[in-house]
Amino acid sequence: MTQLPDYNSMSDKEFRQTVCNFVEENYPALPRYALSRLHWEEVKPWYLTLAEKGWICPTWPREHGGMGLTAGKHLIMIEEFERFGCARVNDIGPVMLGPLLLKYGTDAQKGHFLPKILSGEHVWAQGYSEPGAGSDLAAVRCEAVLDGDDWVINGQKTWITLGMDANWIFILARTDKTVKKQAGISFLLVPMDAKGITVRPILNLELEAEFCEVFFDNVRVPADHIVGSANEGWTAAKALLGHERVFIGAPRLSASAMGRLKRIAQRAGFWEDPVFRDRYVALQCDVMDLSDLFETYVDKLRDGEAIGADVSMLKIFQSELYQRISELILEVAAEESGLRAPPEDDRRLHAASTYLSARPTTIFGGSTEIMRNVLSKAILDLPS
Amino acid sequence: MTEEWIENARMMVDSARAVVPGDGSVERVRKTRFQGAGFDREVMRQVAELGFFLIRVEEDEGGFGLGMRETCELMRVLGGGLLPEPVLSSMMSGALLQSALPETVRTGEEVIVMAWQDQTGSLSWAGGARGGTIDGHKVNVPGAEGADLFAVITSNGVALVPRDAAGLAVTGAETLDGGRIGSLSFASVDVEFLPCERIKEVLEDATLGHSAYLMGLAERALDITLDYLRMRKQFGQPIGSFQSLQHRATEMKIQLELSRAAIFATARRFDTGADPMTRAQSVARCKLRAAQMTMLVMREAVQMHGAMGITDEADIGLYVRKAMTEVNFFGPPRVHRQILANLLEDAS
Repeated sequence: MTQLPDYNSMSDKEFRQTVCNFVEENYPALPRYALSRLHWEEVKPWYLTLAEKGWICPTWPREHGGMGLTAGKHLIMIEEFERFGCARVNDIGPVMLGPLLLKYGTDAQKGHFLPKILSGEHVWAQGYSEPGAGSDLAAVRCEAVLDGDDWVINGQKTWITLGMDANWIFILARTDKTVKKQAGISFLLVPMDAKGITVRPILNLELEAEFCEVFFDNVRVPADHIVGSANEGWTAAKALLGHERVFIGAPRLSASAMGRLKRIAQRAGFWEDPVFRDRYVALQCDVMDLSDLFETYVDKLRDGEAIGADVSMLKIFQSELYQRISELILEVAAEESGLRAPPEDDRRLHAASTYLSARPTTIFGGSTEIMRNVLSKAILDLPS
Repeated sequence: MTEEWIENARMMVDSARAVVPGDGSVERVRKTRFQGAGFDREVMRQVAELGFFLIRVEEDEGGFGLGMRETCELMRVLGGGLLPEPVLSSMMSGALLQSALPETVRTGEEVIVMAWQDQTGSLSWAGGARGGTIDGHKVNVPGAEGADLFAVITSNGVALVPRDAAGLAVTGAETLDGGRIGSLSFASVDVEFLPCERIKEVLEDATLGHSAYLMGLAERALDITLDYLRMRKQFGQPIGSFQSLQHRATEMKIQLELSRAAIFATARRFDTGADPMTRAQSVARCKLRAAQMTMLVMREAVQMHGAMGITDEADIGLYVRKAMTEVNFFGPPRVHRQILANLLEDAS
């Protein structure tokens, strides 16, 4: 890999053009505008293309193989990828684990794991939730006990997005049962081919195996496969996300759903219908106002300001807006709302795809209910 | 005093337990998905033996002559059990054909479904008749590929058309719930039209019955969700103890009861003789409420189940996919709002 240019010194326009050109010239023969996640075997060529260019980890510092982009430049990159309809790669390594290792990892861990994320040799999955620990994540029971030079892990993790694609997983494990629940959790790194691991894919409502559960039966990993100190995993896990928390509330999901709503209405023959338009423009105002609210956070990121708990407002409004649009799409599709296959073989015309893909957005990455609780306390200062 | 219809309805619901288990199990439904014609002919035969296809055939035509209240109560129970078989469509074929409903259908040997709709997204049904033949299309016919006979509705009356009639092509598509929906294409199919005075009324009855099916679907989905709220613990307590969820569950219940009240009051109006305007207005209102209430319940049911709600293995997912499939049959909400707007007293 040759030395990357200093993208941050480019003008926004120049950088946008650079990204746009690269995508148009190098995007492999993959689906564009996919409404559900692609598996590693499909999306790998795109990951490797980005890896070879040095663009797979835009936010990592340049000295660690990243692009060192500012939030503003990163946003431009995301926008250009979205505009082209690039498939989302298995990005848990670049987005979640990398930044966490950079902050909490040992030099040995950084030296070993970061290059393997950059090359695509390691594909990571996130093992946080358990059957009894969803919204109440600190209730994790999957247990790790130090036995000689190994952690011995027993328990279960679930709702692991694309976990069946991964060859490594990081988990939150219970390492002390005698203290307050948040204080007895450790952050461990586990190879998926370790003896005692069983993976069970779970079909979602679209009948696709997008997530899975993983069972740990006396799985042994070396004692140094821990990030941070023992029992301090909760702090590390909570520190994650950074400006990803802003992007998760970006208006793009809703904006693209509006495009699909328009096409479905045109196909159904009442795009011109004034009653429909009344409802359409009401939603359009929501999308545009969300964009303006989103921009205020982007401005904060550009100015290097800290992002507070109030950023959850973006995700709550965006995910619920996406669902409302999807619900109108379902009505507009009339009797075709029940078809399993997309009309004209185009998923963008498929009401059910949009409706179903909108369902998890209010559940994963912090349920809307939990986020409203946090807002009530942290922002509105309401009593418990 | 127990009204007669309640006793009739109770007996029908009891006998329906042969095809819709009383314990709420939907295992049979899960296993039947995405196979063959999307429904089980053996179950249709059982339903025929139970006499359900004769409910809307008058007594002097060899049927039971039961009312819409009994019909709606039955449809509610079938909806709760996610019954995949096109029972309503067969029942309404009986209502159209009366004494002409073939003996083979009465015994369950053959399956009949109703083909009425000219175009997706519209309630028009008058198309197709040309002299003594049918031309054109009838769409959104449930279980069309697995049926033997069609009761085809046109402006000339009802025609009984066998699936293998010359000039008739049947195509089908898979639906989200694991069933199949069909389209009929007629190329000058020779038929005999049977005069039917009650086509519009039968379609209204069917719409009301379908609303009751949706209501039963939503009612059961709410029950399943309430059970989950009671059972699922987070933060050391059942999530049903959280007030924000309690309020939303209450809203679902209110909407459900509004829907139930509207449907059964409308069924009573239908049974006791209502003028055309009242019929048209009340059935549109019932379908509108049932559709919107059903989708409210499904949205909340998924959300309250958390990640379990977006899996295929949780039963609630079967309800969601069934609702997505069925909710817009007999007209999506906008069509019914349009009808109601046109029926306003000062509408010109």
